[in-house]
Amino acid sequence: MPNAEHAIVVDRLCKRYGSLLAVDDISFTVERGEVFAFLGPNGAGKSVTVEVIETIRTPTSGKVTVLELDVGKRKAEIVRRIGVLPQNFSSFDRITVRETLRYYARVFGCKADIDALMDLTNLSDKADAQFNTLSGGLKQRLGIAVALVNDPEVLFLDEPTTGLDPHARRQVWDVIKGLKHRGKTVFLTTHYMEEVEVLADTVAIISRGKIIAIDSPARLTSNHAAQARLTLESMDAAALGLLQKMGFTPARTDDGNICVPVGSADDVRGILEEIQRAGLAVPGLDVRKPNLEEVFLKLTGAPHDDHARGGTG
Amino acid sequence: MTPRIIAANLGIRLRIFHRERSAMFFTFAFPVILVLVFGTIFTKPEHLNFDLPVQDLSGTALSAQLLEALAADQTFRIAPVPTDVDAVQYAKERKQNLVLVIPRHIDVPPSHRLDPRGDAGAVSLTYVYDPSSTSVTTKIQLLEMMVAAVNQKITGIPAHFKLVPVSILPERYRFIEFFVPGIIAMAIMTSCLSNALNMNAELRQKGILRKLATTPITRADWLVSSILYQLILSAVSTAAILLVSYTVFDVRLHLDAWLPLIVVVEVIAFAGIGMLLTPFAKEAESASAVGNAFLFPMMFLSGTFFPVEMMPTFLQTFAKLLPLYYVNEALRAAMIFADNPATLRSAGVTAAFAAVVFAAGTFKTRWDAET
Repeated sequence: MPNAEHAIVVDRLCKRYGSLLAVDDISFTVERGEVFAFLGPNGAGKSVTVEVIETIRTPTSGKVTVLELDVGKRKAEIVRRIGVLPQNFSSFDRITVRETLRYYARVFGCKADIDALMDLTNLSDKADAQFNTLSGGLKQRLGIAVALVNDPEVLFLDEPTTGLDPHARRQVWDVIKGLKHRGKTVFLTTHYMEEVEVLADTVAIISRGKIIAIDSPARLTSNHAAQARLTLESMDAAALGLLQKMGFTPARTDDGNICVPVGSADDVRGILEEIQRAGLAVPGLDVRKPNLEEVFLKLTGAPHDDHARGGTG
Repeated sequence: MTPRIIAANLGIRLRIFHRERSAMFFTFAFPVILVLVFGTIFTKPEHLNFDLPVQDLSGTALSAQLLEALAADQTFRIAPVPTDVDAVQYAKERKQNLVLVIPRHIDVPPSHRLDPRGDAGAVSLTYVYDPSSTSVTTKIQLLEMMVAAVNQKITGIPAHFKLVPVSILPERYRFIEFFVPGIIAMAIMTSCLSNALNMNAELRQKGILRKLATTPITRADWLVSSILYQLILSAVSTAAILLVSYTVFDVRLHLDAWLPLIVVVEVIAFAGIGMLLTPFAKEAESASAVGNAFLFPMMFLSGTFFPVEMMPTFLQTFAKLLPLYYVNEALRAAMIFADNPATLRSAGVTAAFAAVVFAAGTFKTRWDAET
């Protein structure tokens, strides 16, 4: 049962299109005040799920509540309390940034501080630019500003940084961090694992219509990822033998380096000490932590085909 | 339905319209230009005048009398053709569609002319003409009428019959009076359909609808603001057409409560058609193609530019299946003939049609992400 701590409760949600079961009996909850990241390959049922929660698709079966309100019955109340940045946010071409924000504020019937919203999203100097003249990053930031117009309790950001350059992406991240500090619940859909690692408290992975993992990014990584890897550059065969003698399982990489899985920082220290003692030089080294991307690829398997339904990634 | 939201939508759409130059042009300037162009071409048939090259081979007092009679009412501007050229060659070279040739001997004794064998003794005036020319038929008819009048004058026998016109219309009725209601109906149809299709293509193709559907805007809010928007544009375009028609062509039309009423019904009808055509026009490019595929036949077959009665019977039957036909009929019945029962009939058909397509369109229009 939904309670006040839960911003979103999805209970046994199914969504069917003809013979395709796009969403197959999924359940999860999103706590108030957290950044919840929703991941999945294209066609996994991600957007369909998000759009059901956003009240713009009708579930085939199951129950979804947002802020303890049923999406099927209380749409009018829900939409006033949520903010949505749809995928590839778009607005009316000939309308300026300020006019767009004013329009949405009027639609919501709220006295939004348009200037403050433009400040927050770094749009102040583009206030009088028409939408069709904005770059991709500026459009996304306007989309976020529009999503905040009604001071929503829950914010849905569907691929907020897709197509942005690294600089613009970090600006969007800063905005999202700021929202989290202000206690907003953020439901984030993304393809970027780095984004999840930087922003998310909880991550859920959906694949072929089912939730296959849900946890904090750190726990997901430690539970599912392979060990950390130490890469030693340009070492000769002596080092390979040395490592095997120490009980590790080193391997030659294609570019002539030696790669060895390690369990802890002590392992790394031990290996480096032994190499030094043997009088071998280490021209360069690299320790790579297990990351969410590996977990994602491992859990979702080989990249699978997009389903016939476009835009339901 | 929330008045605040409807006002916000109306404001944004009028602002977009105002900034979209081509939309402004096609909604307001285009119909006005049509009125000006067609009005100028067709308005004053009483002042028709044509060039008529005449080769006078006789050069007698009688031929001079004939030419004077032909030139008298200014229908023809007589231009002499040199007597030493071949008239057929002259017509070809000078691109003249009609050349009259008066033969060398035209003074025939009266006894010959009264020959009981009809016109066997008549003098032949030859006209050289170009059958491929569209206006030549009118010119030949006018020429024949005038020659008949000259004949009658020469023979001195007073006419037995004459024609007296009695118009069924209270006022004079010219092409422009016929044309203006048609253009009003066409302008409203064009703007309703293309706006509905383009706006919906934009909403769906660009995904604006996915955003709007997550706001308090309901489908009813959106439809009502669209209708109000169309009504405002239609009112302004109708006013512009009437203003130009009255000031430039001094038209005489009946402007009463029927006009706004028919405009409202037409807006609802074509907004409904727009909604029904939306599934075939998901992108801006196909929207204009679908719009045109629908608009052009409607425009030409519904009596916008010429009376439906001019078309073959099967096309007339087809015209009666088109909604624009009834709008044209209603507007003309009201504005030209001031015929209330006829207006009511055609407006009623339009209203019934509007109710059906608008209801169906509303039913088909989704206000969410489901397609």
